Amino acid sequence: MSDIGWKTVDWSVAGEGALWLALTLLAYLGARWLQGKAKGNPLANPVLIAAAPLIALLVSTQTSYADYSHGGWVLLWLLGPATVGLAVPLYLNFTEVKSALLPMIVALLVGSVTAVLSAVLIGYALGADVETIRSLAPKSVTTPIAMGIAKEIGGIPALTAAFVIITGGVGAICGSALFNLVGVTDRRARGFAMGVAAHGMGTARAFQVSLQAGTFSGVAMALNGIATALFLPLLWLLFAN
Amino acid sequence: MTARDAFLYALSFLLLVACNLAGGLIATALHLPVPGTVIGILILLAGLAAHGRVPQPIRRMAEFLLYHLNLFYIPAGVGVMAYVALVRQDLLPIVAALIGGTCLALVAGALAFHWTAKLTGNAPDDRP
Repeated sequence: MSDIGWKTVDWSVAGEGALWLALTLLAYLGARWLQGKAKGNPLANPVLIAAAPLIALLVSTQTSYADYSHGGWVLLWLLGPATVGLAVPLYLNFTEVKSALLPMIVALLVGSVTAVLSAVLIGYALGADVETIRSLAPKSVTTPIAMGIAKEIGGIPALTAAFVIITGGVGAICGSALFNLVGVTDRRARGFAMGVAAHGMGTARAFQVSLQAGTFSGVAMALNGIATALFLPLLWLLFAN
Repeated sequence: MTARDAFLYALSFLLLVACNLAGGLIATALHLPVPGTVIGILILLAGLAAHGRVPQPIRRMAEFLLYHLNLFYIPAGVGVMAYVALVRQDLLPIVAALIGGTCLALVAGALAFHWTAKLTGNAPDDRP
């Protein structure tokens, strides 16, 4: 995360940045409103709905992503402290979480390893560039952690950030249908899988469904961030040598 | 909201920022292969455990930020635009890995939890 921050801000364009920041907030509010109108339909994903008009606006005004980032970095930076805030539900729900400790550990290990290996193997099998594969590996982890991991293993952090968002969108949209398909009705399991596979966007979706699913999803997201950050660089070291 | 509340919320926000920054500094200083945010979570968790409870303003601030978590992902979502051109030759493997990999991870995680809970008598129906 060290390459984003106030040091990289060019103050001569801060005004334009503030405008893009305001437009992003506006797009978010509009997306939340639409999400409410859609009555919890998973297709109404706030991130994807908000990003689409912003991209259209950037393209039509021939503004580069770098120029947009003069405002956007503030939100990306806030993701750090917000992610640290996961410690609160983790602490508050410790008793309920502790009662399902074994299923959580197994689901964490299975989900975490599946997320990394499936992405890497599919990318490799279809002939993706090594740098692309390195950037794909931490895609299921929340952005600030995923970008940190990408940097560790020689991927492109900004590219990883983009992959993380698409992963979150896929998870938030497909999750419920897939769980129904394989017959998992336990809300703890559904929430936990959302957090492991689709980080904060999956967690936001899980909270929409139920508090219990959201709690387990938040816990899973935090644990997966920690687990992937620990095992992925080691795994990479192992395979690289 | 009184001035005192506003002050406490601001302080809570600064605490989250401080944990994140401290995590980053520790990770850099000790050359840990773990992102600073992860260490930040552990620092706050240790602090809460030592304190024995979650002070209300910290709880409200954390829940507020988590409630709007999707907002903070939007710039990276817009960033997809900037990288589509860069990775055009890898587009098929990327799309396949993202969609296929995520669906596999969702199913694997949910089934692993479900089966383990069943095997250990921890399924929701089994509980008194």
